[in-house]
Amino acid sequence: MNSQALIRVIATREFLARIRTRVFAITTVLTVVGIGAYILLQAYVLNKSATSLAVGFVGTAQSISAPVRAEAAALGETITVQPYASLAAGTADLQSGTIDALVSGSGPSTTLTTQSSVDPTLETALNDQARQQVLTEYLTQHGLSPSDALGQLNFSVGVNELSPVNAARVEQIVIGLLVAGILYVTMVIYGQLVAAGVIEEKSNRIVEILLATVRPWQLMLGKIAGIGLVALIQVVLVAGVALVLASVTKLVSIPTLSVDVVVSGIVWFVLGYLMYALLFAAAGSMVSRQEDVSSVALPVIMVLVAGWILALTVAAPDPGSPGTTVLSFIPLFSPVIMPVRIAAGVAPFWQVAISVVLVIATIFVFAAIAGRIYRNSVLRVGGRVKFSDALGLTPSGEKLT
Amino acid sequence: MRAFGDNRRRSKAMLELRHLTKRYGALEALHDLSFTVQPGEIFGFVGANGAGKTTTMRVVLGVLEADSGNVIWDGAPITFAARRRIGYIPEDRGLYPKMAVLAQLEYFGRLHGLKRNAAREASTALLERLGLADRAKSQLQSLSHGNQQRVQLAAALVFSPELLVLDEPFAGLDPVAVDSMTEVLRSEADAGKPVVLSSHQLDIVERVCDRVGIINHGQMVALGTVDELTDRGPSRFWVDAPRAAAGWYDSLAGTTLVEQDGSRWLIQVGEGADDQAVLRAALATGPVHEFRRDRPALTQLFRDVMSGKAIDE
Repeated sequence: MNSQALIRVIATREFLARIRTRVFAITTVLTVVGIGAYILLQAYVLNKSATSLAVGFVGTAQSISAPVRAEAAALGETITVQPYASLAAGTADLQSGTIDALVSGSGPSTTLTTQSSVDPTLETALNDQARQQVLTEYLTQHGLSPSDALGQLNFSVGVNELSPVNAARVEQIVIGLLVAGILYVTMVIYGQLVAAGVIEEKSNRIVEILLATVRPWQLMLGKIAGIGLVALIQVVLVAGVALVLASVTKLVSIPTLSVDVVVSGIVWFVLGYLMYALLFAAAGSMVSRQEDVSSVALPVIMVLVAGWILALTVAAPDPGSPGTTVLSFIPLFSPVIMPVRIAAGVAPFWQVAISVVLVIATIFVFAAIAGRIYRNSVLRVGGRVKFSDALGLTPSGEKLT
Repeated sequence: MRAFGDNRRRSKAMLELRHLTKRYGALEALHDLSFTVQPGEIFGFVGANGAGKTTTMRVVLGVLEADSGNVIWDGAPITFAARRRIGYIPEDRGLYPKMAVLAQLEYFGRLHGLKRNAAREASTALLERLGLADRAKSQLQSLSHGNQQRVQLAAALVFSPELLVLDEPFAGLDPVAVDSMTEVLRSEADAGKPVVLSSHQLDIVERVCDRVGIINHGQMVALGTVDELTDRGPSRFWVDAPRAAAGWYDSLAGTTLVEQDGSRWLIQVGEGADDQAVLRAALATGPVHEFRRDRPALTQLFRDVMSGKAIDE
């Protein structure tokens, strides 16, 4: 039986043992529901602000209802016109909430009445059209053609941006942070599951039977692979739900949440998880009791937390800065920094490729070290294994029971 | 009795431990330890706590490496592949508490190279044989101690091992469970497999094992069949002669009194002396109701060894 087949058998057990647990079901459902609720809420709030206004126009005011509606539409707001013969009828409807605003009078005496707050777009459109109405009358009285005169105004000032701000920039950074955040949280949770799994086998002494059959590194890799697959399924599930909901509600335009952001996010998850899971496995092998999992996993978690804080404080404010670029090349930080740069569109392909190579190299180094620590520690019960012993630096100081 | 699993692979191989030495820092856990286990033989390994039994078994399994010496299987130093054919019950029991019994056995079967279907068949058959078929879907932790022990045995047998190494297989079992465990081990041995087991329960070892090794401070201090071991030492006879007076044996050369209990005398017969002369002398005093070789129980022998009394090999 070759190594691959053995690792697959081990990984399958780890996978099945965890995917069937209530914890997996609950965390997955909660995350999906949480993200779904967040997106739907956002979409609802955005839609609310863009809802059409029902505006009543009384008597003479009706003459400007059509141009007001046209200008508001150009500004991105829909207005439904409701004509009224008398001010009293209009006011009654306004008070009952049938309409949102009431326009009365004409020219300089045009009045906008609302329940409480004035919609700024409506006010702007109304001002423009009332003034234009007055101007048109004035020009006509003085024998000038209003269309000629107004034609003179048909221009816009030229705009030059010396350093243009990409409108989609903020949205991209949010997406990048979202990807990095999901990776960060998942690596912390599943990394600790790896450590706990190693300790479980150690405290139950199953490891002694297992190691009579398989090599320590096969056992370690099988465990990491099986738990990693569960994590990957959760990540893909959560990302998929977020993507579908976001595009259905048109909250995030698909170009910014591009396929390469999602695909690279998954690649970074796989790499980051492998790198950290090896550290978690090695840490777990050094203690014997489940209570010690947090103390031994803490140093590894600290590194992850540091990366996440740097993503929030350095990468997010300025993804293109030299500081962010340097951080994104440090293998331990790459998985949470690089997604932010990629989403912001400031990571050239060659830079991503180099950091991927660096992380893969780190994984190989960690695999060698973690394999050694695991092999030297996993059969020792009792207190915490000393680091020098775990690395095999002290010759034959071991005692098993 | 039906043999377990696939016994077609009767390797008839012998296990040999040659001059094993293992140190933990200042402590010498094994010192020049050697013994062999023949095909079809149940070898009992006894010794006080910390004597080196578990260390020896771990060295055989390759879980631990000896500083020097060899484990020879089938005439050659044991390989990792050969070790994968060993059915092992470690001192500290090891199974997944939350895993279903059947799934657990299948897992161990597959780790030892069985295909999915073969692993399922072997596991199901074993559970049936051990009377656990109705618990196949139960989590291990819901089983009684004795039943968990049976599952542990099943995990060691599910892949039809060629050699069994069992550390304290009888620990915590009631007499009925001991009998069924014994029966299983006997049938495995009868299939030609060497079986090595350690135990503190010397009465069981005496009953079950073909050969016994007593280990003390990492050294083999006594080795042989139960009869061989108990035959060692001075020959002593219980003589029940109600009319005998003190000193009735004095005329016999090399004969000394060890103990007197009412009308019963424990007489030690010296090297080369004739035990039949003792019987004749006793008969000369009157009726003799008992004349019996005093064979120490393994327990007594073990105590003698532990208390440092030499046993001549």
